[in-house]
Amino acid sequence: MAAPYERLKSWMHELNLCIRCGYCYELCHLYKSHAYETDTPRGKLLLIYGLLTGALQPDPGMVEKVVQCFYCKNCERSCSSKVSLTKIFTDAKADFLDAGIDFRGLAARTDDDLCSRCRVCQAVCKNEAISFGEDGKKIDIVKCEGCGVCAATCPSNAIIMVEGFGVTRGELRETVRAFLEEV
Amino acid sequence: MNARDIEKLREIVGEENARSSPADLYIYGADASVHAARPDLVLVPGKTEEVQAILRYANAKKIPVIPRGAGSGMSGHAVPIDGGIVLDMKRMNRILEIRPQDILCRVQPGVVDDDLNKALKPYGFMYPPAPASSCIATIGGEIANNASGTRSVKYGATRDSVLGMKVVLASGELVKLGANTNVEASGYQLERLMVGSEGTLGVIVEATMKIVPIPKIRCLGIACYNKLADAGHAVSEIIASGCSASMIELMDNVAITAVNETQNLGLPDVEAIILFEAEGRVKDAVQAEIDAIQAACEKHGGFNIETSYDAKERTRIFAGRKKLFSSLSRYKEGYACTSLADDMAVPYSRMADLAGKIHEVAARNNIIMSAYGHCGSGCMHTKILMDVTKKAQWEDARRAVAEIYDYVHSVGGTTSAEHGIGLSKAPAFKKEKADSLELQRAVKRAFDPNNILNPHKLFDAPDDWVTATELRYPVGSVREP
Ligand SMILES: Cc1cc2nc3c(=O)[nH]c(=O)nc-3n(C[C@H](O)[C@H](O)[C@H](O)COP(=O)(O)OP(=O)(O)OC[C@H]3O[C@@H](n4cnc5c(N)ncnc54)[C@H](O)[C@@H]3O)c2cc1C
Repeated sequence: MAAPYERLKSWMHELNLCIRCGYCYELCHLYKSHAYETDTPRGKLLLIYGLLTGALQPDPGMVEKVVQCFYCKNCERSCSSKVSLTKIFTDAKADFLDAGIDFRGLAARTDDDLCSRCRVCQAVCKNEAISFGEDGKKIDIVKCEGCGVCAATCPSNAIIMVEGFGVTRGELRETVRAFLEEV
Repeated sequence: MNARDIEKLREIVGEENARSSPADLYIYGADASVHAARPDLVLVPGKTEEVQAILRYANAKKIPVIPRGAGSGMSGHAVPIDGGIVLDMKRMNRILEIRPQDILCRVQPGVVDDDLNKALKPYGFMYPPAPASSCIATIGGEIANNASGTRSVKYGATRDSVLGMKVVLASGELVKLGANTNVEASGYQLERLMVGSEGTLGVIVEATMKIVPIPKIRCLGIACYNKLADAGHAVSEIIASGCSASMIELMDNVAITAVNETQNLGLPDVEAIILFEAEGRVKDAVQAEIDAIQAACEKHGGFNIETSYDAKERTRIFAGRKKLFSSLSRYKEGYACTSLADDMAVPYSRMADLAGKIHEVAARNNIIMSAYGHCGSGCMHTKILMDVTKKAQWEDARRAVAEIYDYVHSVGGTTSAEHGIGLSKAPAFKKEKADSLELQRAVKRAFDPNNILNPHKLFDAPDDWVTATELRYPVGSVREP
């Protein structure tokens, strides 16, 4: 097992490069929906920085805030410091799991009783997050970006999306669309 | 602030609009500056009555209240140096009315600048100051900071757009300042006093702002220079020769390189460029201004001058300027871009000297600095690029900041053009305004006798910006989590 937060530590310089301008939350779906800076990409980077410097402890609330991301990558497109935001969030998930910290985040989960092992989900997953082995089907919640394509294509309706933030991707899109039309 | 205070204050805004988890407090203690601190509570009021109730309670208990917009300020204005309540104003984000016939709009303070402009566009109007951070900065934050931007050369800073406002004072009392008219000579211009007050005098809960018609035609140009000083002289020439420019932006080679690196824009690799713009109703008139600006640019060695009326091309050229600050972080491997000595203004005739001085100071102090800015309005920006993990570099930065401001003051310039004072520019500000600090303190006492509103900023900020708060960077070694 790697040393605590080994992956995140390797991003420390990137965290310093972030000028904390906040341009990343201009188009962040989560922020537009929740309207708290804690739900912004800048906020996630701050939390990770706090964790690495010992200023923050990985309590469940903090961990969920770091891993809650829809991987739309709008933040990366608007970041001119070119910080690899979503790669950092993915490494945070891996480091949390290594540290024995569980989280909900946003990931697909399978109902094994319904799964027919047809492997359609495995074929459509662009992140290669799904595997089938001796002990059944596995979804790697670090690799899973919660796009929902597996759930949409499963002929047995065996996959559900765990929405750690009480709002689905579709609902978020709708909020953002309504917001943009309003202004 | 005790548990009972937190409970009472939560009741005012409702459970879902109050936060006090370690994660929330950590995030709301930072902005785009080098500073970091932690509040005790984050409150997100939805209406004026809630702001009044919060302030009434805080004033009685002498709890600090720090109004906050987007937290994009660069000098630590919104950093809660004494803890207390961070008052996030972003939920009060309604555009209350748009009155083109009166060339004004009324907005709540949490409206984002770009959102206001999107709403004004169908009416054929715009809100003109145009700070580079317009995609996130709120109108409340812009007023409290007296923000300006690319078009300030023509339309002025935020102060020139403010007509009136509603403000909640420290006591919780609501006052109306200014008027909903284009001119006013009815006593003290207290709405102007709120401009640039950095959250220390009251909480702005509504603002009436002047709007202007969107010009039909715009032309953007770019001029190259082999000497940075020549570009500085050209800025002064354009202004003094009476050209009506709607934008004059300067970028030095550090800025050009950084922007090319991150945005892949292919800007010419010269010592400096000037971006200029003219606008109006009639193409011939716009072209006449462009010709005059071009002549002024050429007089000081400007070459490869290109201009374009095409909207797409103009956006492409300008994109680099918009993303400049954050691009600077990618200028040199191992260096990060810090917001220090970030902003100043000097008389136009000193622009060229200042640009050179910035690089001279940087070289002497083992750091890198960039000279750029909305030079058309007399504003110069710089940033300090350095290895933020090394203690010695912070000493270098401390010296460089002091040297830059000593120069700025010596030529009759001022500490901030538009980014405000906050914490990191406070030492320079206190030097510059030494003879009026007591007067400013007296004004503060008249508005806020218990000193609860954004305390220990501006004239009352610590004398050393490096130790004023924790730094946001891991100076020295990173502690084990
Ligand atoms: C990349 C980048 C580019 C920038 N470019 C520019 C630029 O071109 N021009 C420019 O002027 N600035 C610029 N800035 C600085 C900053 O964005 C602006 O000064 C902006 O006005 C700050 O708005 P905000 O909503 O983020 O305010 P915050 O940073 O949240 O707050 C700033 C100050 O305003 C006070 N405040 C906020 N809301 C209220 C309220 N309702 N009532 C009373 N006080 C309040 C706060 O207490 C604080 O003192 C830039 C910043 C960044 C990161």
